[in-house]
Order: sequence, then C-alpha cells, then structure tokens
Amino acid sequence: MAPEPALRLRGITKRYGAVVACDGVDLTLERGEIHGLLGENGAGKSTLMRILLGLETQDSGAIDRDGRAVTITGPRQAAALGISMVHQHFSLVDPLAVWENVALGQSGPVRRAAVRAGVRAAAERYGLAIDPDARVGSLSAGERQRVELLKCLRRDPAVLIMDEPTSVLTRAESAELFAVLRRVVAAEHRAVVLISHKLAEITTATDRVTVIRAGRVVLRRATAATTEAELAREMVGREVTLGAAVGVLPHAPAPAAPASSQAALRLRGLTTRPGLDDLCLTVHAGEIVGLYGAEGNGQKSLGDVLSGLTVPDAGTVEVAGAPVDLRRPGALSAAGLGIVPEDRHHAGVVLDLSVAENLVMTRLGDVSGRVFVDRRRLRRRARALADEYGITAPSLDSPLRTLSGGNQQRVVLARELSGRPRVLVAAQPSRGLDVGAVEDLYARLRRCASDGIAVLVISTELEEILALTTRVATIFRGRIVGELPTAQADAERLGLLTGGAA
Amino acid sequence: MTRTGAWVSAVIVAAAVVLPGLLIAVTGGSPAAALRALIQGSLGDATAVSQTLLYAAPLLLVAVGACCSARSGAFNIGQEGQVLIGALAGAAAGLRLAVPGPALLVVVLLAAALAAGAWAWLSALMNRLRGVDIAVSTLLMTFLAQQVVAFAVTTPWLLQESRLGAAAALPQSNKLPSRALLGSLGDHPGLQLNLGLAVGIVVAVLVAVALDRTRWGFRLTMAGLNPAAARHAGISVTAVGGIALTVSGALAGLAGAVLLTSPLSTNRLQPDISINIGWDGLLVALVARNRPLLAIPIAGLFAVLRAGGNFLAATGVPPYLVDVVKALLTLAFVAPAVLRRRSVIA
Repeated sequence: MAPEPALRLRGITKRYGAVVACDGVDLTLERGEIHGLLGENGAGKSTLMRILLGLETQDSGAIDRDGRAVTITGPRQAAALGISMVHQHFSLVDPLAVWENVALGQSGPVRRAAVRAGVRAAAERYGLAIDPDARVGSLSAGERQRVELLKCLRRDPAVLIMDEPTSVLTRAESAELFAVLRRVVAAEHRAVVLISHKLAEITTATDRVTVIRAGRVVLRRATAATTEAELAREMVGREVTLGAAVGVLPHAPAPAAPASSQAALRLRGLTTRPGLDDLCLTVHAGEIVGLYGAEGNGQKSLGDVLSGLTVPDAGTVEVAGAPVDLRRPGALSAAGLGIVPEDRHHAGVVLDLSVAENLVMTRLGDVSGRVFVDRRRLRRRARALADEYGITAPSLDSPLRTLSGGNQQRVVLARELSGRPRVLVAAQPSRGLDVGAVEDLYARLRRCASDGIAVLVISTELEEILALTTRVATIFRGRIVGELPTAQADAERLGLLTGGAA
Repeated sequence: MTRTGAWVSAVIVAAAVVLPGLLIAVTGGSPAAALRALIQGSLGDATAVSQTLLYAAPLLLVAVGACCSARSGAFNIGQEGQVLIGALAGAAAGLRLAVPGPALLVVVLLAAALAAGAWAWLSALMNRLRGVDIAVSTLLMTFLAQQVVAFAVTTPWLLQESRLGAAAALPQSNKLPSRALLGSLGDHPGLQLNLGLAVGIVVAVLVAVALDRTRWGFRLTMAGLNPAAARHAGISVTAVGGIALTVSGALAGLAGAVLLTSPLSTNRLQPDISINIGWDGLLVALVARNRPLLAIPIAGLFAVLRAGGNFLAATGVPPYLVDVVKALLTLAFVAPAVLRRRSVIA
C-alpha cells in the first residue's frame, strides 16, 4: 500500500468579496519530495499557504494530513500538525544571538547550553554552518536564511514551506540551500514546498511542480517532464519574451550610441565602514551599467548612500559633473538621481500612505502651493503616473500596503522617473517580482537608457546582468574589482572577477 | 480583523460600564445611584455642564499637541511636566510683566506656550546631540518640572506669595490680576462658556488642517510612518520631529496657562495645578488615534468623567472608581489597534 501523502488539498476555494483568490485548488505533497509552487504575484500562492498555516480559513475544500482530514484553525495548530514555513522576509531579531533567535517562540524554559548544542547538532546534520553565538545583526543574508531554516527544522516539521527562499541569496548560497533541502527530504522524509519566481530554480531543485494562475491550477507535472519555457508560459498565460527568465541567455542589447563623454554619475572613492572601500564607478548617459557581485560585498551600503540614508566616511557622488552634498536630505533626488532601492519597504515607500501620496512624495512641491498641498493636483498627477506606468490599484487612495509587490515596485519606479532624473539606480530590481512584472520592468529600464538616462543596475543575478546591461562592473568587498563590456562577459569570467566564489 | 477589533472594543466598553458597577455594589453602594450622580455632576444642570466644558479645554489642548508629536514619531509623554512649566511661565508673566489691559492675558498664554515649547525642545536637542530616547527624556523631565515649580512657589524671591501680616506664606503664588484671566463667552444664566474651550477648539481645527492639508503636515506624517523613506524624499526627520515635539510642548504649556487663568484653579500657581491633565490629555490623543478633530469629542467624554467623577466622590463613592472607568475606556479604544498591529506581524 502506498503511503498516504504528507498533505493533500482538495478543491480549496477562498473568496475575498468578488475576488476569487483560490478556485478549487488541488495539491498533493508526497513525503520525501520537493514540490515547486509557481505563480505570478497575486495568483493565489500566498493565500493557499496562509490557509495551510491557519492564518486564513478556506471557504470550501478539504485538507488531509497523512490521510486524516484536518481543519487548521490557527498557526499553533498548523505547527502542531507539523506544517512550518520559512518566510520570505526574515523574522529575526537583530540584536540577539543566533541561539536566542532559534529559541524564540519555543515554549517552556530556555536552556542556553541545550539550545546551543541543538543548533550545533542541526548545523552539522544539515550542513548549515553557523555559529550559535554570532549576533544575527552581523550575519549576511545567506546566514540569516540558515538561521530561519534552523528555527523551522527544530520544530521537526513534516511539511516545510519555503517562500522565495533564494530572493536574497547568491547562486552559491542558493545551491547550498537546495543541497540542504535535498538532504532534508531524502534522509528525513519531510515534504518541502518551494515557492519561487525563478524558473531555473524550480527546474533544478524540485521533483514535481504545480503552476497556479488566477487562483486555478494550470499545470501539474513531474519537473523532469517540463521546461522553463513551458512553465513561464503557463504561469503568465502567454508567451514571454524575457530572455533571462526562461533561461535563454540573450544577446546583450547593442551598446547604445557610444555613451556621451559626459559622465552622468561618477562615484569617487566612496568609503563607508563597514561596506565600501574606495569605490569608484562612472556611468554615462544612455548606458545601462551592471554592478554584479555576491550579496554582502557592499551593495547594500552603496544603495544606502545613493538613497541618501548614510553619509559616506569619504568620497563623493557627482551627478552630471556636480558633486552632491550628501549630508542634506533629499539632495541626491534634487540633483537628478532616482533610485529604486533594494528594500522597497525600508526606504522606497511609506506603506501606510496612499498610493497617490507615495507617487508624489519626493516632489511634493509640484503639487502644492507655498503652504497647502493641492489634493486635486496631487490626484491628477498620481492618476497620470499610474496610467503611464500601468499601476493597478483598487484605488489611488488606498494604502500602498494593499498593492502587490510588482505594483509597489512600479510606484517607486514611476515616482523616481517622474522627476526626469539624469541617473536611475535600480538595486536588485527584480527581487520578489514575477516573470510578467520583470519583463515589464526590463522594458522600462531599457527605455530609460534609450531616453538618455544613465542606468545603474545593482544585482546579484547573473541572468539579470547579462540580459539588461551594456557594461558590467564587479564588486568584491566594497571595491570595484573588474569592469568589462557585457558582450565579453560570461558566468565564468564574472565569477572569477567577483572573487572566485561566494 | 476590524470585526474582531470592534468586538474587543465592545467587550471592554461593556466591562468599563459593568465592572465599576459591580465594585460599587460590592462595596455596598448602588450602581444606579452612582451612574445618576456621575451624569448629574457632569451634564445634570448648567453648572455641571460649565464644569465639564472647563475641563475639556486643557484636555483638548494637550491631546492636540500629543497628536502632532505622535504622528511625527517623536513620542512625547511628558505633557504633565510641560503643563506645569506652562503654568509657571504664565504665572511669572502675569505677575511680573506690566502689560496694560487684557493684553496681559495674551502675554500669559504666549509665555506659557513658549516656555513649555522650549522645555519640550530640550528633549529634541538631547535626542539630536546624544541620541537620548525622546519618550524617556520627556517623561523624566516631568519630574524635573515638578521640582522646578515646587521650588518656585516656596522661594520668596521667585513666585511665592507675598506675606500678609503675620500669616505664614503658603507654597503658592499670588493671585493673577483679573485682567489676565479667561472670561466667559456671552451671558447665559448659570452656564459659563469659558474662553479656554474656544481656544482649544480653534487650535484643534488649525492643527487638523495643518496636519492633513499642508506640506508641513505631510512631511511630519511621512517622517513618523517611515523615517528612511522620508529622508530619501528630502525630509530632515530629526528637524521635523523636533518641531513637532516643540509644538506639542507648546500646546501642553497653553493648557497649563488655561488651567491657571480659568476657574479650574485658584488662579495661583500651585504645585498641583496640573491635576493630571497632562496624563489624561495623552490618553485622549491615544483614544482619538492621533486625529485632532476626533480629539474634540473624546476630550469632552473625558471631561464628563472628570466633572462627574468629582461629583460622584462627593456622594461617597471612592473616586478611584472613576479612574478605573477611564482606564478601561482607554483600553477599549486602544486595544483593538494594538491587536491589529500584532496580527500584521504574525
């Protein structure tokens, strides 16, 4: 007799008012498999997982756990049933040590020695190298991910849900993570749900894959029997032309007219401690330059400097030949530098303000008189931007929080470009976006360059760099360690230039 | 989620009504009689209504200021001390400055607002220079303010009252001249509409407009909601927070001057002149979810509890029961917001 599946969902339906988030979804998770779950933002993946975690209740449909029908009433019960999730956004406490974070949320007395030994043992068993005494705040994204995973595994879950686990990881870290997950399913017979937008990951790391579109399952297949192109098509519902996402290395776009000699953005000797070490980089009008490197080599510090969040210890930023006074808030924006930051929720948007307000917040002067904000002008301008950038929102007055990741990204891009900047910096621009949104984003970035804007793309994704840029600079430990035309770049050369390995 | 919130609110409001009733019954009183007394003392007749309106004015002023600072993210919880400093500066100006006619009242009010604003600004300064937490420093400055006022009214060469004959001087200042006092609006038999409330309502409307309609208010709100994004958008978060804190201190100071110059006090500076208006005003802002216009009715509600509570105490019911009601009511409105925030994290 075949063993019962670890989890079986039958006909799960969930409506929010008129919107059907999940429409009769069937999903079977076998023990010992990694199951890929693919779908655009808003396709219903999150709702489905929220139902599994007991954060939502389905309107109809049934859930079997090991063949027994269960109703999941809340997160605690989900945990008791052995369903556990590693969230996309880390839920770690920075000032605490690794072992303290792992012990958080566990009931009963916390014994330091026991927890630390447990962390060590688990780290060894799964090959998750981590020092239990390290402060979480000092860890890289990859290491934090390990802590999250350890936290989850300590609860001994039968079903482990990973929500876009690699969105902040380097390739090497991702590969490591998948190796760990493979051990977890093979040796311990757990089931893993891997939610991802990255098709290459789904095809290499999963055993079976389910694609959801608009709340319905549109494809369910053994991973070996499908292709990235097919998955992309099923997910979006049409052919997509995004080279990178379907794994076809595209030709780098023809270099735009040899960039004008005028440097639109010039970074000279930028130094922050920690983070950047005498970083120099020039971007000309009309070109797209990629800054490639493994996570944690100073990209975040650079993003913070260019967002005006940190003042560098040394060095200057010049926009169109004029140095910018980085101590003045908003100086970069005023000088003509737009930025789509890596962590949109941190510096890009104000989640509790309306969509319209987020669209105008850097250029409030344009929609107000001396003293008063002109609501009518504000709305008119926001409406124009929303139309131009294809932002779909329930209403421009609803809080930004209610928008999908792709639409939030578009809000930031629309706002930053509305100031007609000379320079646009996009940090990890496709992070958390689905294929359709990425396609749209790439087209817009290319259009920016052809309009004469200097574009700097900071990315850890090789495919992104190759698909988008005309020139690539590599960053390692806060310094530029190599620079070459993208046409001459390939994984191997760039790998060598980024310090060999992550 | 909002349904849960409303449900939680309803339960706690019910508790706020039922629990004190039970307590009264247990201690041998009659809940119905107590409720009657509460209403009688706050809304029962023209005199009671006058008293309620008197309380509403300083509560509203403190609350409106608290709305400003809380929205900017610079949490001021030192209003009680700022009320005292305002009263102190108002008394000093009213007793020492030779300003002719009713202009003296204006000078008293301005002096109070300026002094308390500066007092609150000190916390912004400490935050800027040394990163001292604003909530902590404003709170601790309250105790400092109490000492300063106590010192002023016990020191003859400062503000202690002049000795009359052989009588020992009390720890209080001289009475302010009557031209420095807040008068009543219009002439109604028995009913007093003290000017203080008019000041409060005008300020509440002005601040509401400033917060919701001006560039300044937009910046302030943004700085409070997401400092990083605000900085990126060209806003100096520390400066905006400092201004909000100063405004909130100034309005608490104004409340202190209203206390000093209205019939709520003996029109003398006394160490207990603030009568917890600073703390209660903070609660009003909390319940009003930092919206100045909403603070108007909420200040009214808290004023009802205060005026009615005083009357209730006169009927023999322990006055702390009114505090229990106040605390439960505050919880009723604040708890759902806290629950909502928690569920967002989960």
